[in-house]
Amino acid sequence: MAVSDFSITIERGELMGLIGPNGAGKTTVFNMITGMLRPTAGDISWKGENITRLPTHLITARGIARTFQNIKLFADMSVLENVMVSCHYPLDSSFLAAMLGLAKHRREEKRIREHSLKYLVEAGLAPFAFEKAQNLPYGLQRKLEIARALATEPGMLLLDEPAAGMNPMEKMELAAFIRRIREKNGITVFLIEHDMKFVMNICERIKVINYGQSIAEGSPDEIRRDPEVISAYLGGASRAQG
Amino acid sequence: MSLTLFLQQLINGVSLGSLYALIAIGYTMVYGILRLINFAHGDLLMVAAYAGMYGVLLFSLPWFISFPLAVMATGALGILLDRAAYKPLRQAPRISLLISAIGASFLMENLALVLIGGVPKPFPRPDFFGYVIKAGDLHILVLTIYSPIITLLLVLGLLYIVFKTKAGKAMRAASLDFEATRLMGINLDRIIALTFLIGSSLAAASGIMWAMKYPQINPFMGVIPGFKAFIAAVIGGIGNIVGAVLGGFLLGLCEILIVALLPDLAEYRDAFAFLILIGVLLFRPTGIMGEPIIQ
Amino acid sequence: MSEKLKFWLNVASLVLLFGVLFLFSRYGSGYQIRILNNIAIFITLAVSYNLVNGVCGLLHLGPNGFIAIGAYTSALLSMTPAEKQLNFIIEHAIWPINVIQVPFVVSLIAAGVAAASVAFLISFPVLRVRGDYLAIVTLGFGEVIRVLCNAAQSVTNGPLGLKGLQAHTNLWWSWGVATLAVAAIQRLINSNYGLAMKAIREDETAARAMGVDPFQRLMLAFLISAFFSGIAGGLLAHLITTISPGLFTFLLTFNLLIMIVVGGLGSTTGSIIGAVLFAWGGEALRIVERPMEIGPFTIPGIPGMRMVIFSLILMLVILFVRKGIMGRSEFSWDALASKFAGWRRTQTPP
Repeated sequence: MAVSDFSITIERGELMGLIGPNGAGKTTVFNMITGMLRPTAGDISWKGENITRLPTHLITARGIARTFQNIKLFADMSVLENVMVSCHYPLDSSFLAAMLGLAKHRREEKRIREHSLKYLVEAGLAPFAFEKAQNLPYGLQRKLEIARALATEPGMLLLDEPAAGMNPMEKMELAAFIRRIREKNGITVFLIEHDMKFVMNICERIKVINYGQSIAEGSPDEIRRDPEVISAYLGGASRAQG
Repeated sequence: MSLTLFLQQLINGVSLGSLYALIAIGYTMVYGILRLINFAHGDLLMVAAYAGMYGVLLFSLPWFISFPLAVMATGALGILLDRAAYKPLRQAPRISLLISAIGASFLMENLALVLIGGVPKPFPRPDFFGYVIKAGDLHILVLTIYSPIITLLLVLGLLYIVFKTKAGKAMRAASLDFEATRLMGINLDRIIALTFLIGSSLAAASGIMWAMKYPQINPFMGVIPGFKAFIAAVIGGIGNIVGAVLGGFLLGLCEILIVALLPDLAEYRDAFAFLILIGVLLFRPTGIMGEPIIQ
Repeated sequence: MSEKLKFWLNVASLVLLFGVLFLFSRYGSGYQIRILNNIAIFITLAVSYNLVNGVCGLLHLGPNGFIAIGAYTSALLSMTPAEKQLNFIIEHAIWPINVIQVPFVVSLIAAGVAAASVAFLISFPVLRVRGDYLAIVTLGFGEVIRVLCNAAQSVTNGPLGLKGLQAHTNLWWSWGVATLAVAAIQRLINSNYGLAMKAIREDETAARAMGVDPFQRLMLAFLISAFFSGIAGGLLAHLITTISPGLFTFLLTFNLLIMIVVGGLGSTTGSIIGAVLFAWGGEALRIVERPMEIGPFTIPGIPGMRMVIFSLILMLVILFVRKGIMGRSEFSWDALASKFAGWRRTQTPP
């Protein structure tokens, strides 16, 4: 079983981290929250509503957005179009209005475009708006993933290894970016990361998972000193630093 | 219905099922490794039938030389088909592979049409298969009894290869995890070629028996049996050899019995097969045997 | 290039197109007019097929079923009761088919609606699966529809088909419908709806995560495609004036597949080019003309050879030029203008 005996509560506006050795079940947790995997037992509730059995797109509509461990951008579409997809719902004009080219539809398209551009500007991606997503350098692709998720206007953002493959400077920028998002929009952030320094640096609370079970939870300092965590990562050796 | 008639239809059903089973194996083996529905697979029946026929009629070979040669030639054609139409698209999106398969199928059918002509030709059925056993009211073509026996022997041979040889182990590994198998240093190209060789040869054997059963052959003779065998493979669990065999027999039996019990609906028999397919795909896509791996 | 200029360029092109059509309708031979009608109908079919296969990325192998539904619906509705009685000789047509008759345009719309309705019904099972499974399921449905057309003697007149339809289809109908179809579908593709469809094609999981409901969007594409295919079926029926189940086999699907793949899967412009090339390739003659009868002899033509060539072309394209002629790009005035500017630049002396 990938995950068993796992429970977590996240407060609004928190910056929560999820760490654990490879294969511990972290992405599985994300998949369950976003409805891509159905838990065989247990419930997930968001803002008081039980979302366990909802399909993914409805969970996104309820306000939970995510990025992916292996970048899943819409490769052949432009950077701007990638973000515009997130603004797809709710649409005021029907497909008929689209097919007939009615003014109401054209206005809405314009609104979506401008709205999406704002997210690109915020992420520093505006110069690349019309580039194909697959042509972007790796670090910018990761940023685009985040911008795209933000455009769904979520209450909570799930980031799956957002810093993977980045150099230290990019990681610093990313950390600042995440903090900014949280400050500006009051979004709750829940992230998975392997880079310990990054997680300790940015997260307020951390949950540790191993073999699909939660083994510790607390502030970065508490986690750093937790013997179970240390043994899980290093099989008994002393340091738990990234 | 009298017992005799029922028995007759039962035997017919099993016999037809055995032919479907042989063809279904080829579909399932290729799908198991390449995740490709080889649309052109059914047309291999047609190639084998014509090859067997021309071996006897044109080159005056005795049937026990001509037919096995035809099977081997068709097996080789299967390898060629993969090399030409599928291998270049290993990394391409699936839709390209399917389109290539459809194109290959149409190409083979119409090439035959152009070269041989659309008029159905009579297949030279040897007397060995052709005489009729009479047991009371029961009249059975001895071929009808030989088919399931030949099928069973071939299937046993196949199972031996798949489970008891190194090559077979490699095939099973490839169907479980394509990339990992490659990383282990196993020559995937050869495994794939072997898969096509075996699958195509079995289909060829079925094609020859089919031509003996319905001795008028034409360029499009492989279309319907091919599709029905595909349905059988899906029913049994696509990717699973035993499933394909089971599915084949099941489909053959159902087809004959439905037509026997409800003769008014005989026209709809092909539609029935399609509806069964749609039903299986929607409600139990992994078929009877479950997992999409060669087992 | 300004939007206004583009608008007037489009208008000018349409005027040019219909001007040319007018000339053909006045001075062209019957043969030429038939080819032009075929081109228009194929354009409608190819562009709507491309919406599902190219833009949404689904391998839908059952359009022949929807075309058949459209053709039969339109034919049965537009024929007079007397004509129907003449046709339904083995079994009488059931009520209300035997008494109903509507004007041509109504029958066309009904054809589209009928095809779209069936598409709606089967979208529930079909859109539960993807990839190969979807291909096979749609293929199966296409075949089931054809078999039903063949067997439902009192509804469709079975294998005999329907003869003696009024040749309502002319250049204005066929090209009018084609223009509307291209415009409507292209607008849809350019809209946020089209964006959602492309996103589903690129990465359905990611699309879901961004809030897109794949079922809704794919069903929309499926229905619109069926709608226009149905209308095209009706136009086809009233062009060749004789329809039978044998016209709507998997071969028809295969032909559409060739058109959109050669033109460029995902490109409306490509589908138009593919349709024109195909119609020109003479396949139109196969569908349109019966085997030629000269006295007591029937010349069957060389149907196999044509298909051999088409199959080869399809395979060569998919193997070597996989993106087809246009790839996924569309024609645009801007692209044309910049190409022209580039050419002019090479012409100026250093």
